[in-house]
Amino acid sequence: MPTAGPLKRMLSPLVNPQVFDFWASHLSPTLSWERPLAKVLARRVEARDTVTLELKPNRHVGGFAPGQHVSVTVSVDGVRLTRSYSPSWLGRGRMAVTVKKIPGGKVSGWLTEHCRVGDVLEIGPAFGDMTQPTLDRPWLLVAAGSGITPMMSLLRQAATQPPSLPPITLLYWARTRADLCFLRELDQLAGRLPSLTVHRILTRESALLPEEHGGRPDETLLRALVPDLGARQVYACGPAGFVAAVRALLAGQVAAFEAEAFSLPAASVLSGAPVQVTLGRSGRVLSVPAGAPLLAALEAAGERPAHGCRMGICNTCVCGKLAGTTEDLLGGGLSHEPVGAMKLCVSTALTDITLDL
Amino acid sequence: MTTAVARRPLSADEVTRFGAEIDALRERTLADIGDVDARYIRRIHAAVRYTEILGRGLLFFGLFPPAWLLGTLLLGVSKILENMELGHNVMHGQYDWMNDPRFDGKTYEWDIVGTSDNWRKTHNFKHHTYTNIKGMDDDVGYGLLRLFPEQRWRPFFLGQPLYAVIFALLFQWGVAIQDLRLGAYFAGRMSAAELREQFRPVGRKMRRQLLKDYVFFPLIAGPFFLPVLLGNLVANGLRNLWTFMIIFCGHFTANAEVFPKSVLENETRGQWYLRQLRGSSNLRGGRLFHILSGNLSHQIEHHLFPDIPARRYAAMSHEVRAICERYGIYYNTGSLWAQFGQVVWRIVRYALPSKPVSMEGRRLVVSE
Ligand SMILES: Cc1cc2nc3c(=O)[nH]c(=O)nc-3n(C[C@H](O)[C@H](O)[C@H](O)COP(=O)(O)OP(=O)(O)OC[C@H]3O[C@@H](n4cnc5c(N)ncnc54)[C@H](O)[C@@H]3O)c2cc1C
Ligand code: FES
Repeated sequence: MPTAGPLKRMLSPLVNPQVFDFWASHLSPTLSWERPLAKVLARRVEARDTVTLELKPNRHVGGFAPGQHVSVTVSVDGVRLTRSYSPSWLGRGRMAVTVKKIPGGKVSGWLTEHCRVGDVLEIGPAFGDMTQPTLDRPWLLVAAGSGITPMMSLLRQAATQPPSLPPITLLYWARTRADLCFLRELDQLAGRLPSLTVHRILTRESALLPEEHGGRPDETLLRALVPDLGARQVYACGPAGFVAAVRALLAGQVAAFEAEAFSLPAASVLSGAPVQVTLGRSGRVLSVPAGAPLLAALEAAGERPAHGCRMGICNTCVCGKLAGTTEDLLGGGLSHEPVGAMKLCVSTALTDITLDL
Repeated sequence: MTTAVARRPLSADEVTRFGAEIDALRERTLADIGDVDARYIRRIHAAVRYTEILGRGLLFFGLFPPAWLLGTLLLGVSKILENMELGHNVMHGQYDWMNDPRFDGKTYEWDIVGTSDNWRKTHNFKHHTYTNIKGMDDDVGYGLLRLFPEQRWRPFFLGQPLYAVIFALLFQWGVAIQDLRLGAYFAGRMSAAELREQFRPVGRKMRRQLLKDYVFFPLIAGPFFLPVLLGNLVANGLRNLWTFMIIFCGHFTANAEVFPKSVLENETRGQWYLRQLRGSSNLRGGRLFHILSGNLSHQIEHHLFPDIPARRYAAMSHEVRAICERYGIYYNTGSLWAQFGQVVWRIVRYALPSKPVSMEGRRLVVSE
């Protein structure tokens, strides 16, 4: 985030940022004292149910490395909601996000259907470890559905440094051909980058074209498409089920493995017995089902904890746990002790607990 | 005068059903809250800003009397809107569901000398939970006035018509010091050091407000220092009088009741609703009047549903009234002048001694 200049530092005790923003927004919709905002400059349909939004960020929007995610906040039916999206740099200070509409999804539904040129989005800080892999070993990028977005960001970055690139393979899963994004751009990139190979794999297409493949991720397919599998640094991105399957196949079998799930695993124990969550600061006591992600459960009970990705990535939702047993839904095991920082979005209460909220 | 309304005691079963009907109305309304309410509060926020800048702008030409008058009025309206429809309602958490830091009940800081934090405690918690319970709701007479015969008379109260006028003119200062418990200090139950500690944030807020209205804006007006200062003073005064009137009409009309602490024992949700109803009174008026009162003209609905966006109260009031009629519960409403007349009457009447009224046995329900 840009640091404040001396003038701004001098003025800041006198300025109420909200009043400043109110008047500033009359001049330019993204002019703000301190809020990171971006204006939608263009919108295009990328594939079925998928839209790319070209954004012009204001000076408070922080940087991000290709492969990282930012929290995007929009107002849907009067309620501000935050979700993560993986942006790309477009040059000239512009960025793009590509959003796939999830059935019944609030934010993705709004961004793909209601968002218009001129609208303003709030863009939170970047997070994520899937930034450019080292150049000394071949890469394998595995994406399903909207999981293609961080891979595109990485490939666009790679395209600016062609001579030094190792072999790169992109395995891109989608349901049908109509769901595939960035086809033209991927062809162009493959033309420009001799080291890049792109394989498209469709799970629900009735008739495959010669260069397309079918089926879900399995060992035979992976070995057929990537003979030197063991030498690869692997990034995988997509829905939780997909990422879990790829992880089971590859983790430990390859040179390096990183993955990010774009959705929470289908909650297995969601309908657990009720447990009590005591909010230490407000004194409120809520009953939530054991096994439900705490962030969602607290929201359902009318609380509004801060959050970003809702996937255990951005650290926005952390809060102290004062007592009780919780489980980390991302496989982090059980925790019986008080902890200073616990991610609400991927933790679930197994007993009555007390939170520092 | 207080006994003009015959109150039929409800049976425990009736109170339960009454409570369920009020709950159902609450659920129905909550389910419908969304974009319109968000747009509304953003528009109110914009109206506060526009009227403020227009008012302050006109005051710079305050040597020209019509500009001074209009500027002062506009600034007064801006302060009233900010205080009531925006600040008071936002601080109740009515718009927390928007998740918008601008309208966040826990952090909103309003434009009066009182701190929002104190208000959230004395008003949101004490007054709304213990509404009209003598000895628990500080708003019953604000420790300064005797408004109900149930309060013990002391010679001090003889002067209360005068205190009331001063209190009305300085209402925001009264709100500011309400939580300092000066009474406890004077009675020797709080040390000077404690009081100083408590006063610190309040003092900071007071200084900020004073600097803004009586130093900063007059100074940037340069040669027009005086008209700007006077305009700001009168605008603050107008808001004090207006908020005093609206708030006193909310709980101190002739038929509003006070309750003993004993009503709290095992108080059910239905009984709580009933107490809110019997301790509150509404004001009739047009749309603009309701907005300027922060919809506290629907004091009854505000007390039943303090966290529902106040713009909903008007529609809810028809249903609450219909429910009350069904149970034979008195629904206290009237014009501003009629209701305020009753408040003035209370202030004058109870300055003088009156036959002590016992609250013993005052119950909201008759047991089966
Ligand atoms: C690190 C990270 C990066 C992401 N990057 C992108 C991106 O670049 N482009 C993009 O389109 N999305 C991306 N997502 C997903 C995005 O953040 C939202 O989860 C998604 O848009 C759905 O939000 P929603 O408000 O529409 O759905 P909600 O209203 O929150 O959920 C509706 C239903 O859909 C389910 N659901 C939520 N997310 C998914 C999902 N991804 N797949 C399947 N089901 C889901 C929910 O469990 C719920 O039942 C990313 C997610 C993460 C964690
Ligand atoms: S919301 Fe991002 S870690 Fe929980």
